[in-house]
Amino acid sequence: MKKYTIKRLLTSLFTLLAILLVLFILMQLMPGSPFNDEKLNETQKAALYAKYGLDDPIIVQFFRYVGNMLHGDLGVSYKISKNTPIAQMLETRLPISIFIGGFAVLIGAILGLILGLIAALKHDTIWDSLATVISVIGVSVPSYVFALALSYTLGFKLKWFPMLYTVQQSMGSSVLPSISLSMFTMASIARFTRSEMLEVLGSDYMLLAESKGISGPALIFRHALRNALIPIITVLAPLIVDLMTGSLVVEKIFAIPGVGSLLVNAIQSNDYNVVISLSFIYSAMYIGIMLVVDILYGIIDPRIRLAKKGD
Amino acid sequence: MKKTKATVSLLTASALVLGLVGFNTTVYAETGTSDLNIMLETPVESLDPQQATDGTSFEVIADYTDGLMQMDADGQAVPAIAESYDLSEDGLTYTFHLRDASWSNGDPVTAADFVFAWQRAVDPDVASEYAYMLSDIGQVVNAAEIIAGEKDKSELGVTAVDDKTLEVKLNVPVSYFLSLMYFPTFYPVNQAFFESVGDTFGTSPDTVLSNGAFIMDTYEPAATAFHLTKNDEYWDTERVQLPGLNYQVIQDSQQALMSYQTGALDTTLVNGEQVDQVKEDPEFQTIGAGYLWYVSPNMDAVPELANQNIRLAMTHAINREAITGDVLKDGSLPTYTAVPMQFAAGPDGSDYSADQERYADVCAYDADKAAELWAAGLEELGISELELDMVVDADDAPQKVAQVLKEQWETTLPGLTVNLTIEPKKQRVEDMQEGNFQLGLTRWGPDYADPMTYLGMWVTGNSNNYGLWSNSDFDAIIDECTTGDLCTDAEGRWARLYDAEKLVMDEAVIFPLYTQANAEMLSSKVTGIEFHPVALNRVYKNAAKTE
Amino acid sequence: MKTSTTVGTASAYVPVDADFKLKNNAGEIAIDTNFSSQSFWKDVFIRYFRKTSAVVGLVLIILISIMAVIGPGMNEYTYSGQELSQKNFAPRVKFLEKFGIFDGSESLSTTTGSMKINYYEDKGLDDLYYWFGSDNFGRDIWTRTWSGARVSLIIAVAAAIIDMLIGMSYGLISGYFGGKVDMVMQRFLEIANGIPRLVIVTLLLLVLQPGMLTIIFALMLTEWVGMSRIARAEMLKLKEQEFVLASRTLGAGSFFIIFKEVLPNIIGPIITQVMFSIPTAIFTEAFLSFVGLGIPVPQCSLGSLISEGFNSFTTHPYQIIPPIVVMALLMLSFNLVGDGLREALDPKMKEM
Repeated sequence: MKKYTIKRLLTSLFTLLAILLVLFILMQLMPGSPFNDEKLNETQKAALYAKYGLDDPIIVQFFRYVGNMLHGDLGVSYKISKNTPIAQMLETRLPISIFIGGFAVLIGAILGLILGLIAALKHDTIWDSLATVISVIGVSVPSYVFALALSYTLGFKLKWFPMLYTVQQSMGSSVLPSISLSMFTMASIARFTRSEMLEVLGSDYMLLAESKGISGPALIFRHALRNALIPIITVLAPLIVDLMTGSLVVEKIFAIPGVGSLLVNAIQSNDYNVVISLSFIYSAMYIGIMLVVDILYGIIDPRIRLAKKGD
Repeated sequence: MKKTKATVSLLTASALVLGLVGFNTTVYAETGTSDLNIMLETPVESLDPQQATDGTSFEVIADYTDGLMQMDADGQAVPAIAESYDLSEDGLTYTFHLRDASWSNGDPVTAADFVFAWQRAVDPDVASEYAYMLSDIGQVVNAAEIIAGEKDKSELGVTAVDDKTLEVKLNVPVSYFLSLMYFPTFYPVNQAFFESVGDTFGTSPDTVLSNGAFIMDTYEPAATAFHLTKNDEYWDTERVQLPGLNYQVIQDSQQALMSYQTGALDTTLVNGEQVDQVKEDPEFQTIGAGYLWYVSPNMDAVPELANQNIRLAMTHAINREAITGDVLKDGSLPTYTAVPMQFAAGPDGSDYSADQERYADVCAYDADKAAELWAAGLEELGISELELDMVVDADDAPQKVAQVLKEQWETTLPGLTVNLTIEPKKQRVEDMQEGNFQLGLTRWGPDYADPMTYLGMWVTGNSNNYGLWSNSDFDAIIDECTTGDLCTDAEGRWARLYDAEKLVMDEAVIFPLYTQANAEMLSSKVTGIEFHPVALNRVYKNAAKTE
Repeated sequence: MKTSTTVGTASAYVPVDADFKLKNNAGEIAIDTNFSSQSFWKDVFIRYFRKTSAVVGLVLIILISIMAVIGPGMNEYTYSGQELSQKNFAPRVKFLEKFGIFDGSESLSTTTGSMKINYYEDKGLDDLYYWFGSDNFGRDIWTRTWSGARVSLIIAVAAAIIDMLIGMSYGLISGYFGGKVDMVMQRFLEIANGIPRLVIVTLLLLVLQPGMLTIIFALMLTEWVGMSRIARAEMLKLKEQEFVLASRTLGAGSFFIIFKEVLPNIIGPIITQVMFSIPTAIFTEAFLSFVGLGIPVPQCSLGSLISEGFNSFTTHPYQIIPPIVVMALLMLSFNLVGDGLREALDPKMKEM
């Protein structure tokens, strides 16, 4: 197991480096420049490119960036917040995105599991249809529409929650954004829980367990749900990364100083270092979570653990 | 049945979790203060006065920094840090006498602070995007050479005679020079402080210094909310009535309006769709934003657009009233001149573009005339159909306007098909600069209160002369007015500028559309906010809020 | 531990003619003589149509597709035709207006109070009917909704099918060969998937000419990963099973096993995934519209209609309802069909 984990870690590091290189190449393809084209003349533009080393060959830029990154230096922003070190920008923003995203994952996963379980256990009844309809609404209404509807009803009309994110009330003002973000997760989880549970419930070993006299919650949770969890986690993992790295639309609507809107702004304004840093964080989280999932598999499913031991 | 029990218990458990969260926050209430709550559409890009380029940054920098001059309610330059000034006979030397003012760290504001800042502005290493404010526009001695890297920044024509006297030398007399002095690029920076914070200058409350009406007390780079408090040490502090400014960035206009209705904001922008909701409201108002929106035809690369009849037909086919009245609805003004309205006042104090009939015969909406010119143009070209492509920003307003333009052109001009290419602004600008477009929907905001900020664009070889139009008569007039004989003759210059503008309009070099305005809500509790289309969009020094 | 099932590494001993001869009858072994292959699909058919929700889903998809074809032509308006004097008209339908619904009136909540307005009456346009209302350019929302549905359906179905082909082949090949091939292919996938989708998609849309093809291409590039995961997982599950072993013993080549033996057995999960990836594609397109990189105006998709209607959400809420309802119905029906197909295709679930 240890050997396997180390091997996985090393390949992950290699993958991350490869991703970084690909990102650098992609940045070269981006049309436009981060500097205000309308007001600068050619000499000034050249001076700016030289100042930030953007006129160097791509490979030089890449190794310089990797070198700086090892010192914790992610470069400076060229456009969104001029000359601000990106590390400083992320310091406050990333935790906010992770918090709201994590909150959304929690809500989405719990509600999704419940919906999926109800649908599977009450298969082909009105409950099943109801759960399906709820989860379909979750996937078919874009989060920005949810966000505004929630803000209008719960925020503006009923005044239960703040309509805009504030640092002072970070808990309360995260509720509406998290709920609107969680809808998609909830729906996906509900759908997969339902189908996986149906498959598990129909399997021979469930029949065996039942015939052995195991019943009720023990049967459902210890035997059925446990087996259904693996595919569910597989589905959940990338969703977690997506949510935690911020959502442009929800951040825009609730005025959240997160990283999602930063990424879109950065892409549209060619703020290279911001795009690369944020993408890199995304990749690192993604690969990290995939690693955790692999290890989790071992815990949930003893068969995999055994197989790995033999490896 | 046990199955259901389990589900039910799970349900209650999670409901409890959610309920707890909800419970903690239902006690939330709006906190009312007497600070002014201001909505911003975009975050601040930079608090470095020599690096900032956008209106939002300028507004915030000016909240806590005073330059030599400031804007009065009418947009005229009145003394700020400079108590008085002398202008030499030949109009080439300004001597500013500074008053006793201090930075928020206790240091006095001295002439050296201005010298340091101005040298930064032209320093090629700083590469300020607004460096041309000192060179091409301000005509400060040696600015252009320093920007080009030919001279050292210490040779800039600005010197601190003593702590309280600043002398500025110009290449040629510049009639609007004083009005440049309230532009943030010319604001002072305390050298000792700047050097003590190094690269982090302007990234947090601790790394900015105030000599103005307010002091920044919470701020992060690209923050969505930040706050300024009144500066008790400000030289003119009696005038400032607000205890503080509370900025909130809200990118969604519907959220902004709802926040305004709950009282969380004292002023907010309203978009076109929402105007129906608020137009009866006495708190609703429209404020000129200065930008001229226009279509630039690429006369160089597209032979069909090089035909003047085709261009005239297209500009005559635009119903500008419909665009502003039915689609934008934000108070934008239909514009029939190459220089927008309400930003440049002439020697007699009247608006340069007040007369919108001046060129009406070459651009006003006239479907019949347009069709006639169109037919003539097609005949000259020997074609019966024309397909054109227009590049448009991927923002809300330009997309709307472009769709209407397409419809108006295609219905009025038989045989014309206009395709819209929607792309992010960055790319649209690049495409236009590289001449990689046929028609472009673009805008230009005034940098200083003089028609030259527009007319200067269509000089041969200017990088913003997208259509690559070239007319030696036009170039001659512009030369005459910037560095030639007319520099010192305000009235004569004004008249010549109209001649230049007429050339642009007669040849339909651009199709002007409208002068942008912003629809805003302003609480009746608030008085005294000064709105300007140039440089500083909003000034709060004289604002007051009653409870 | 090395397993002996991997082709090529089976053993050092190579059978010679003297031992036995490989039958090499790829054509014949596909025919199962014990059960007629026809009855399987018949069975699926019967099982599918026994499930009401699946039938409802199918009918809905067919209905919406038909409307997407004929809907825009059902009145005199075109999707791009503007009538600025008739903008923001509330829905009005000929017969229904007698009951006080769809009568062209709406209540506008302004900051100074709420008011009821009926533009049809105000402007004296008695013979005018916008069934779903008109938008802020005076364009007919009915026409736009259905032409939007058409665009969304084309984009989504095209993207999903291409995804399926690429993702499925990739996953099957990677899973089947295992070892180094799998290792390299999975690393590549990890890199492709590790870059935020948004970066790839927006870059593509910036570099290429915006339009339907570009959007399909962008969706395809980012969505195939999920499909390949499923195909690979299924392949790993099945490749060690007896029927694969049997087929290999009979001399079947790798690609024969992958596409003829394994593929039919995993068609269930694959089709289900396609049904679920269509909604994802519609959704991603909607997001692109929100960022301003969707289908170029004045063309429209359900996504762009929603993001247009979004701007009038608090003023004229009726503008966002038609595209959202159609989108929700499409999602619902694709999900129902997906579920129905999965259960019908998987005989194990028969007893459920």
